[in-house]
Amino acid sequence: MLPRIMELEAALKILAAFDRERVEYVLVGSMGMAVLGVIRATRDIDVFIAPDEANVARLRRALTSVFDDPSIDEITSADLSGDYPAIQYAPPSGDFSIDLLARLGERFRFDEIEWQEVTIDGIRVRVATPRMLYRMKRDTVRPQDKLDASALRDRFELEDE
Amino acid sequence: MPIRKFRSVEEMTPLPDRRPFDPENLRLAIAWSHAAMALHPVKRTPGVHKYRSYEDMKARDQRRSSGSSVSE
Repeated sequence: MLPRIMELEAALKILAAFDRERVEYVLVGSMGMAVLGVIRATRDIDVFIAPDEANVARLRRALTSVFDDPSIDEITSADLSGDYPAIQYAPPSGDFSIDLLARLGERFRFDEIEWQEVTIDGIRVRVATPRMLYRMKRDTVRPQDKLDASALRDRFELEDE
Repeated sequence: MPIRKFRSVEEMTPLPDRRPFDPENLRLAIAWSHAAMALHPVKRTPGVHKYRSYEDMKARDQRRSSGSSVSE
């Protein structure tokens, strides 16, 4: 039997909960690429999050509505705004993770992320623009990110700035 | 998506570009992820994990992925 992972239902439940709770977020990473039509396998959902206290409270409410897990309370505005701008939350199943980012290096903060809103199965989803994803992928060090950047550049005919 | 067969890797043509924002895109990504997980299962440690950078977080994922085929 195949292991369960990030089933569509779970991914959509998370995005629906973000929409319902009015979480200020932007879908980035490979799931953001998938929405844009550049598809590869992944084990996580990467989201940029506005790290202010009110928004992180909405984020916790959204996640708690999907996963009955008290550890979600450990996600704090103080951490995201301070020394821990990258927080990974893995639900109890351990099948996938939700990777929360408040900033990426010194170049990208939430307020600087270009995004667009689309509706998928009735759920409003905020996804980074192709140009934004390309810039984020291009400027990180992972080989996978370099491959992703190349795929985005070719697919959307993007040019280096 | 139909199955396509080739006599060699060289003959394989890339998949056609998917239309941006097609709801099917997300389904395809998750189906591919499912297949990848079946071939190389890696469990995340449940809970909240904090990192000083995106790179630290992904490096940890990479070590987990290459260090174990089942779980931590």
